[in-house]
Amino acid sequence: MTEQLYRLAYYSRNALPDDADMGVELQRILDASRKNNARANVTGALLFNRGCFGQILEGTCDDVERVFETVQNDPRHTSVVALQFEAVPERGFGPWAMAHVGAAAFDGAGYDAMSKAIDVNPASCAGTDLFDALRGVMLAHGPTRSKTWSGRRAE
Amino acid sequence: MEQEGDHRSCGQAATDAPSRIEQAFDLLPSAILVLGEDLGLVACNRAAQHLLGLDRSPAAGTDLQHALASSRHLHATDQHVLADAIRSLGAGDVSETRIEIGQRRVFQLTGGGSPGARIVSIITEAANPRPPSSSSELDDLTGLLNRNAFRECLSDAEIEMRMNGRPVALLFLDLDRFKQVNDTLGHPIGDILLTRVAERMSKALRSEDIIGRLGGDEFGVLTTNVAPESIQALSDRLIDLVSRPYLVGGHLISIGVSIGAALMPEDAESADQLATCADLALYRAKDEGRGVLKRYLPEMSEQAAARRILELDLRKAVLLGEFELSYQPQMAIDGNRVVGFEALLRWNHPKRGRVSPLEFISLAEETGQIVAIGEWVLRTAVREASTWPETVSIAVNLSPVQFRSSTLVSIVADVLAETGLAPHRLELEVTEGVLLADERHNIALLAELQALGVRIAIDDFGTGYASLAYLKRFSFNKIKIDQSFVREMIDNPDSDAIVEAIVSLGSRLGMTTIAEGVETVEELARIRAHGCVAVQGYLTGRPMNDLDVRQLLGLQPQPQAARA
Repeated sequence: MTEQLYRLAYYSRNALPDDADMGVELQRILDASRKNNARANVTGALLFNRGCFGQILEGTCDDVERVFETVQNDPRHTSVVALQFEAVPERGFGPWAMAHVGAAAFDGAGYDAMSKAIDVNPASCAGTDLFDALRGVMLAHGPTRSKTWSGRRAE
Repeated sequence: MEQEGDHRSCGQAATDAPSRIEQAFDLLPSAILVLGEDLGLVACNRAAQHLLGLDRSPAAGTDLQHALASSRHLHATDQHVLADAIRSLGAGDVSETRIEIGQRRVFQLTGGGSPGARIVSIITEAANPRPPSSSSELDDLTGLLNRNAFRECLSDAEIEMRMNGRPVALLFLDLDRFKQVNDTLGHPIGDILLTRVAERMSKALRSEDIIGRLGGDEFGVLTTNVAPESIQALSDRLIDLVSRPYLVGGHLISIGVSIGAALMPEDAESADQLATCADLALYRAKDEGRGVLKRYLPEMSEQAAARRILELDLRKAVLLGEFELSYQPQMAIDGNRVVGFEALLRWNHPKRGRVSPLEFISLAEETGQIVAIGEWVLRTAVREASTWPETVSIAVNLSPVQFRSSTLVSIVADVLAETGLAPHRLELEVTEGVLLADERHNIALLAELQALGVRIAIDDFGTGYASLAYLKRFSFNKIKIDQSFVREMIDNPDSDAIVEAIVSLGSRLGMTTIAEGVETVEELARIRAHGCVAVQGYLTGRPMNDLDVRQLLGLQPQPQAARA
């Protein structure tokens, strides 16, 4: 009954137009992904700042694949770099269809450093360190609590 | 662009300058025909010539059917139908009519004027909506248009361009690294990947753009958005979307896409030409780093033409025997004696002069001519070496492409049998390219060659991927240390260490080592200190012709007949 769970982590560059209202756009993205993820039984977390997105998706292989492919077709981001995809014993973001982490620590320079590290060895994508860093940011800061935040259970 | 006189409406004497009214008639944007009493063509303005695909205005009184017969894009049946429709309008039987031209186009004809000067005006529109694609037009896997259907659209675009002057851009897209996915993860994963690619590409297009799968991992896009910045923006979108990672069957996959684009009529006059131009541009995109858009440039056609000429010259060179071999000595470090020669290919073209192998080997590999050239090199070098002392060996280079030919092993066996050269005196040099391409098959061939008693050397060792795994997968007889390390070993301790390591690696694995590109006494001393067995380079001997080889070996010159 319990199918193997997988976790995917990736970064991408924000491709929103310069004049876009980031708050509004972010809320739109969060709303849509919470709805899609809950439907697909996928949980995860989204980091966002002006420069980039960082996202974690968790679920069965098929479910994560489906959600990831939808996300990939989204024109609001670009330069997508997958960091890690691996089997995990349990969900790390169980309660959240898409937790939002206000990521001051996750700045543009950090993105550049990480994407450079990936460029050196793109085949491996064995970004365990990078994944830990990403998760560390999330665990340290916790999901951003705003009045619009809606942590919906995926299950 | 076009000569005024060529398009003068019919019925005008060439001697008179056209009146203003006549000029205006000719320049009217609507397509208008004027028919005489006998329903022959009296006048036909420029727009009508364009619409009907006529190069020039027919002479006054020309029979309609006859005039339409010279159309560049109307099929015979359409010419017939159109002539009938125009005649019935001219006769006043009907005042307007619609006819279908081809599968995708409608002509709306309206009659008017007075008897003796009947006027027929034609407007054209696309048969709208475009008939839905039938299953025979769709690619089974991706649901995109298949090659034939896309080709059909390309022809339609040509007609559209001729009739309405509407320009079109053709993009050819070829996936980068798709073959590796298929090879390593299998076709089922590759097929799913292709469907994802097709979906992503479709999302990057506008609804009126046309996309098709032309084969394997090749796609085509037709768009009427031809502004350079639009094409760049569309390509950027396509490259971005296709290059994003994929998650398929639990595998994270990364591929890319190269794009070649050409415009009609700017770059090409016909659908065929357009495809050729887009293909050349794609070739350039692939050549220059992949993952990019290249617009077609006329110089690409010039370069392609130059390559075709080089290819023809190369073909002739094989037949006319314009090739010759040079031999570079290989010296044993102890005792400084000649232990062998490496055969090097030279091409003396009557007009080009000496053509560098850098210029023609890669072309010969692409066209497959290297198989014939390589056989000639092998036969010539071995025949020559069979006249040398038994202590002197001959090294011959093999291209990875020769490994695709089924006859490689039998040719080597045949040459040995024919010349009587002891097999251990023949050394075949391969680069790691042989192991990169179709590794299992090629290693099996290397083993077959080795079983003949021939020695196998790995050339240029240390460059490229320089995977030590190669040394495990096949037991080479010899390692040739690339000259780049030798050249740097005095000034660069790292290069020196690498040379030392390769030599000791070789000796542990039972492979002899030879250092290439030795040019100074210091380098030679260092190489000797590292325990390398042999050297090849300008210091110990430059490439020389067969006569000089014989002199070096203390042999009499061969009689001319025997050398032919």
